[in-house]
Amino acid sequence: MVHALREAQRVLKPGCTLIDLRPAISHRRVGIREGGSFRKLGTVHETFDEDRAADRAVSYALRTGIFKLEAISKFDCNRVLDTADEFRDWLSEFADVGSPAHERLIRQVKDAYKSARGRRRIVVHAPLVMRVLINQATKSGRRLTTR
Amino acid sequence: MPLRVDPEENELRALRRVAIWRRKRVLEIGCGDGRLTLRLARLGAHVTAIDPDVSLIAKARRARPPRFANRIRYQVGKAGKLKFPRQSFDLVIFAWSF
Repeated sequence: MVHALREAQRVLKPGCTLIDLRPAISHRRVGIREGGSFRKLGTVHETFDEDRAADRAVSYALRTGIFKLEAISKFDCNRVLDTADEFRDWLSEFADVGSPAHERLIRQVKDAYKSARGRRRIVVHAPLVMRVLINQATKSGRRLTTR
Repeated sequence: MPLRVDPEENELRALRRVAIWRRKRVLEIGCGDGRLTLRLARLGAHVTAIDPDVSLIAKARRARPPRFANRIRYQVGKAGKLKFPRQSFDLVIFAWSF
């Protein structure tokens, strides 16, 4: 991952911006939106190993002066699904669907969706973290040094 | 209706706050099916979008609206081995991929 950051720095003009945008290290909340209200049903359990590795790589890039952190922000990014089958398909792309916790969550979503009335949607709340990093290289490709 | 990601467009608002995208040369790393790429193009950026997954790049190409034909270029590629000259982009974005 550090190598990917070095490659990004190589192709980026000096002083220009790299944006690192990815899900925050927090379990996604799943629920039913019915009318204007959200009813939480459970959370998606994830390991976050890759996210932690990415955080370490960014920390390294900042510590060694490859990039400078200009800003960091966090905001919600929701996914909206219409059926429990769609939810199951989405979950299977990245989580262990066979696990008892996730099977239970899928059942909960199915039941809640069935019993909900009117306009209803399955919603997954997932906060995103956005880091804005500035390339510290000079035009000659050398790194700027800070005193 | 299929899965909708960020229908409130919080992501787009956040991106708009931190950079000027109009006419900028942008490299998007990990573009997937091009969901975010289209949003960046809507902001006026000229986007080169890469992903290691051949099938996702093919899907993104199929979904590219004709009006963005000159503004979006999809390529199969990996973050660790970028096939671009040095200092060729104004912005680089790791989109959910790093």
